[in-house]
This record gives sequence, C-alpha cells and structure tokens, in this order.
Amino acid sequence: MSFIIGVVLFVVVVGILDARLPWPKPRAARPVRS
Amino acid sequence: MAEASSCEAGALVIAGHFGFAAVVKSREPQVPLWSLMLACQWMDVLFVPLFALGIERIVPIATAGPHPGYGEGIIYADYTHSLLGALVIGATYGLVAAWRWGWRNGAVLAGVVFSHWVLDLLVHRADMPFLPGNAGNLPRLGLGLWRIPAASAAVELALVVLGTCLYWRAATKALHDAGERTAKAAQLAAVILVSGLVTLGLNLVGM
Repeated sequence: MSFIIGVVLFVVVVGILDARLPWPKPRAARPVRS
Repeated sequence: MAEASSCEAGALVIAGHFGFAAVVKSREPQVPLWSLMLACQWMDVLFVPLFALGIERIVPIATAGPHPGYGEGIIYADYTHSLLGALVIGATYGLVAAWRWGWRNGAVLAGVVFSHWVLDLLVHRADMPFLPGNAGNLPRLGLGLWRIPAASAAVELALVVLGTCLYWRAATKALHDAGERTAKAAQLAAVILVSGLVTLGLNLVGM
C-alpha cells in the first residue's frame, strides 16, 4: 500500500502542484511547428 | 519458505527514491517533477506486473514473522533490478524523454531511473544480479543495510529532508525570479515532506 500511496502522492499530487510553478521549460528535442 | 503476498510485504525502498528525485529537481529545474518522481520508481513500477505474474518474487527472511516488516525480504527481481536490466530500463526511459524534451533532459531522467538501482544496492541483501534472470549465476549484489532497519530508514528520511530543503530553495528562487509570492514554495515543500513521512511511515509499519 505504501508504494501505491507514494506513487499517487509524489507523481500525481506533487507533480500537478509543482507544474503550476514558473520553472524554466524543458527545451524541445526539435522546434515545434505552429 | 513462504513467499510474500504483496509487493510491500518484505518492503521496498520508496520514500528515499522520491527524496532523491526532489534533489535532482533542485539542480535541473527544467525537468518536470512528475517525470522525475516517476523515473525514480520506474524500476519498481515495472516490478509490479512481473511480481503479479510470479516472474519476480519477494521471499521473507528466515527470521521474519508472518507479516514481514521493513527490509525483511529477499527480492528476486531478476529482470527489473539486474544491473544490465536497470541500465536498459533507464536508457529506454531516457530515450522516450529525449524525444519529447531533448537529449540533456533525457540523460537526466535516465540517470534518475538508474539511481534507483544504486540506492537499492545500498540496502538490499545480496539479491541483485548482474544480468537479467541471473544469467551465468554470477554473484548477486547488495550491501545489506536493511540488516539495520533504523540505519536504512534514517538514510531514506535524510533523502526526503534533503530533497525537501533543496526543492524549497529552488522553488523560492523560481517564484522570486518570476515576481510571484514565494509562500507557494514553502507550501509545496511541506506537501513533499508530509508525503515522504507518510510513505516512509507506512513502509516502516509494513503496509
């Protein structure tokens, strides 16, 4: 259970909250065409 | 010898890996945290279906009770946790990430996947093979810190606390540079710390 709870907490909850912070964006492997 | 009935019985290293991922986030802030968190546990994520299929196993140590506790398992994860297997799994994860986010970020994520093997090497009893399926019957690896549960738990706790502190500092800088309120960094660091303590606590009581 601790493994599943850990994955949910860290990957999902923390991951979603962290994505709202103004971190630099990862550089794309190739330019994205618009 | 009875086999463990769930992935947690016999226990895995969990919180410590997440702590390390938070440390990496503080050094490589452009890599999405969810991808780092998933990378640090990717070997165990792959272990779960192989465990369910009976291909990989956890065997309680001889002195374990009916419900094996923290570190009381010998883990025959002969594919996902072999040295070569870990390198291949890490490289595959890194290649997928590189396709989306570039080679540098792919390399970072490949390294975080492989860091799982390194931390497991510290705590596992000698149950980690060089080659998948323990081909060649080479000596198995593991430094066995799980023989001293308090020490291995302390290492996991230290990684969680270190990751929380470094993440907090990096997030504060990112928010400050963007002209936003830095209180968010403390709030998120608190979520990381509590998540780590909950995960480690459940692991220590054998859940």
